[in-house]
Amino acid sequence: MATDITIPTDLWEEDEDCVITGWLVDDGAAVEEGALVAEIMTAKVQYEVHAPAAGSVRITEEADAVVAKGAVIGRIE
Amino acid sequence: MTKSNERKLTIARAMAEATAQEMRLDPSVFVMGEDIAALGGVYGNTRGLLEEFGPERIRDTPISETAFIGAAVGAAQDGMRPVVELMFVDFFGVCFDAIYNLMAKNIYFSGGNLKVPMVLMTSTGGGYSDGGQHSQCLYGTFAHLPGMKVVAPSNAYDAKGLMTAAMRDDSPVVYMYHKGLQGMGWLGTEPAATVHVPEESYSLEIGKAKVVRQGKDVSIVSLGMGVHNALKAAKKLEADGVSAEVVDLVSLVPLDRDTIRASVAKTGRLIVVDEDYQSYGVSGEVIASVTEHDISVLKAVPRRVAFPDVPIPFARVMEQHCLPNPDKIVAAWREMSAMQPA
Repeated sequence: MATDITIPTDLWEEDEDCVITGWLVDDGAAVEEGALVAEIMTAKVQYEVHAPAAGSVRITEEADAVVAKGAVIGRIE
Repeated sequence: MTKSNERKLTIARAMAEATAQEMRLDPSVFVMGEDIAALGGVYGNTRGLLEEFGPERIRDTPISETAFIGAAVGAAQDGMRPVVELMFVDFFGVCFDAIYNLMAKNIYFSGGNLKVPMVLMTSTGGGYSDGGQHSQCLYGTFAHLPGMKVVAPSNAYDAKGLMTAAMRDDSPVVYMYHKGLQGMGWLGTEPAATVHVPEESYSLEIGKAKVVRQGKDVSIVSLGMGVHNALKAAKKLEADGVSAEVVDLVSLVPLDRDTIRASVAKTGRLIVVDEDYQSYGVSGEVIASVTEHDISVLKAVPRRVAFPDVPIPFARVMEQHCLPNPDKIVAAWREMSAMQPA
């Protein structure tokens, strides 16, 4: 069963999009639940995205992609 | 394929991790600078430190580099190990008496009776249209004056080991990190700088260059962001059947002339890539290191791909026109091979 990796909706108040500044894991990497997997930035402030489950990371939105709050950027398989 | 035990960090995170690990071991280490505490540094390299170590050891300062870098020199001479941040290297003007006349020279002036164990970390580089007073590298300016070690990592693994080494060194170390390698999106991130970094503390020897790509036709020597441009150029050259070796200087002072000479002795050709101004700088020093030693190894005149001797333009197209890039390195190779005797 796959679990989506999504942009958290509670990190900043406005409805600004953010940019994925970088993935800290490679596609296919094994991660624990809660592991830091990506960094995102909006208005020059950087936030962290953590793995919602343990498993293998599948990246669907690459670094530099501009994405909205709640957007799916990858999944854990 | 599943990979495991991977731990990729940005240079920003690697620097913060090294600093935290050393602060846990050594109570004399503390950090000072503008916006390094609550904000975690405008380049992210002090994130998390205030939460762990508190405002006594992680100190936000007023906007006076003159005051807080001078204060760091005094603290270092008095037994502390300060890490101070000059937010942009371009701001060096107001604090150069503290750096050039105090930090760099007080060990000598005291006949070795004083130590100045401090780290001056500072951001370098442009490429994101921030104008000529926020985009310089100034590697040559800092490497020129005796008395300071100077390092410039190109990736997170080296960044962590050099940061640990810098904090443990009894001499002042200038730690120059390129903004475009920090993993901060708005500065134009180079993803290849984000690499696997072991969690345990480790130290890299200052003054050791690395051959990061083996080749036999030409040595491309660079540092910081230039290493990534060199590696991209090497890939393009490979498609033309040219085998390029890439040397990452890692440290500017001491300069690892042996590694440079060994590489050029093997390939016979040298291209130096430097984002600092071309004249009177690192690129000339690297070439002189080879030619003063043994000119007979050279099969062609050395070339350099550096920033032209003009103030860095704000306009994006003009700045990008001036910056080194992989295509300019490939073009330098083509000119070089066209001039060669058959």
